[in-house]
Amino acid sequence: MDSLLKKHSTILKTTALILMLVIPFLLYAAAWHGSILQVKLLIAIFVVNMLFVMKNG
Amino acid sequence: MVDIFFVKWIFAFSPILTVLVLMIFKNWSGSRAGAAGWFVSLVTATFVFGAHPLLIAYSQAKGALLSLNVLYIIWAALLLYNVVNETGAIKAIGIGIQRFSGDKSIQILIFGWIFASFLQGVAGYGVPIAVVAPLLVGLGFSPVVAVAVPAIGHSWSVTFGSMGASFQALMSVSGLGAQYLAPWSAILLGITTFLCGICAVHVYGGWKMTKHSFLAILVIGTAMAGTQYILAISGMWTLGGFGASLVGLGSGLAVAKLKIYNQVPPSQTQSEMGLGWALSAYLILIVIVSSGVMIPPVKAFLGQIKLTLAFPEIVSFKGWITQAGEGKAINIFGHGGALLLYATIIGFLVYRSKGFYRSHALNTIVQKTIKSGVPTSLGIVSMVCFAMIMDHCQMIIILAEGISRVFGSFYPLVSPWIGLLGAFMTGSNTNSNVVFGVLQQETAQLAGLSASLILAAQTTGGALGSMIAPAKILVGCSTVGLSGKEGPVLKATLQYGLIITGSVGMITMLFSFIR
Repeated sequence: MDSLLKKHSTILKTTALILMLVIPFLLYAAAWHGSILQVKLLIAIFVVNMLFVMKNG
Repeated sequence: MVDIFFVKWIFAFSPILTVLVLMIFKNWSGSRAGAAGWFVSLVTATFVFGAHPLLIAYSQAKGALLSLNVLYIIWAALLLYNVVNETGAIKAIGIGIQRFSGDKSIQILIFGWIFASFLQGVAGYGVPIAVVAPLLVGLGFSPVVAVAVPAIGHSWSVTFGSMGASFQALMSVSGLGAQYLAPWSAILLGITTFLCGICAVHVYGGWKMTKHSFLAILVIGTAMAGTQYILAISGMWTLGGFGASLVGLGSGLAVAKLKIYNQVPPSQTQSEMGLGWALSAYLILIVIVSSGVMIPPVKAFLGQIKLTLAFPEIVSFKGWITQAGEGKAINIFGHGGALLLYATIIGFLVYRSKGFYRSHALNTIVQKTIKSGVPTSLGIVSMVCFAMIMDHCQMIIILAEGISRVFGSFYPLVSPWIGLLGAFMTGSNTNSNVVFGVLQQETAQLAGLSASLILAAQTTGGALGSMIAPAKILVGCSTVGLSGKEGPVLKATLQYGLIITGSVGMITMLFSFIR
């Protein structure tokens, strides 16, 4: 698993960065429309992404 | 009551403390520590300061908008640097300068003070130390001096360097314009221009060489600090560090011709690329940025499309209200990053038409840009996002109130140290401004001080933090074979960093009395 992460490090980090910049706008759209469930789901995805950055960033 | 406030203050400080501990004691990168700080802020905000999902959602959207404003410049600056560096132009500029003087103090000043600042102006992110250190070793300086000199010498140009990315971050988080922030920032950074020059020479030759270099430091420092001030207050802050160091380069080469600095014959090494061609991309940049900023019809044409979002009033469960309003607008075609991008594309086409690139050069340029841009960006976005959570839950106000209660009207003495701390722990003036900008602004307002002066001290301290940031020292040491032996370099830069920051604190205090 670790070797796989190292091998694709640049692609995974780039994907994490894109997610960090895209998810907040999806959060905004969900919050604007008052969809709490979607907001919670997106925050959960954001948390997972941050966990990845904290481990491999 | 005081005890409750103290406990709340500790909780409010916990995300920043997390980043600090992880970076200094655990040697984590800015991106990893930033993500950890984000987690701590999320948990603390939710369980102590009354954050809820909608508050988190809106704060993160504001954070993404702020981040995009900063990343636009950072990515474009990195791309431009790689477009130029891939032709061998940076090496050619170094060789071109070397041919002007054999005097050691002038070589220190031209390479470690001016050329390093020029590289900070166009690239940043550790590039000045990484490029200049091997050049100084090649000129016969010891590796420790070769890393310490550019680390100290380039610090004054960090805020307005990298096309003003750090200044952009300061404006973004404080919500204040360049016309309000630029004058004091340029004055304090102008004073540090001289101090960095003196310390860069002193680290190699002590007071004897400093005395020998006095005239050169006075002339070049005045040229650079003056140019930076003029560019900053006239709206061309993106060119502040770059333009100042370019003028410094001209005056430095002129000073090198003086008799007292011309006792030793200069090097006769030739490069494949002429100095004119090597600098051509930056000349294009000057023309484009000047046109985009100073010619009103061009500025108006480029500024037609701006992206922003409207945010409603947000109230935390604890009753803290964040007013409704628009997020930070992104000027798609007139942004500093966009102007950089135009210069990069034209520069690339010019160099390609002249045959300066090897095959697959474009691929290499893109790969190098992504490799250095992604980790930096991850750190910035995670720190901006946790700063926004803190901002929306009263955490920054509580921090500011605590500091204001302790220091009161003596706060100006402390403000550059906070900036320095931020840059030390994150390795970046930009991150320091993002994390501490609002805190400094709120504290200044609570203490009845000028926010523009305190924010200027913040960014000056942040700029000076570059000379002691382990992240940057590590980069420099790796280029001169000092990997694993960073201690002596850090020891050298630390003492100068602390002296200059202390001086800036006292000057800020003085200005706060007389204004």
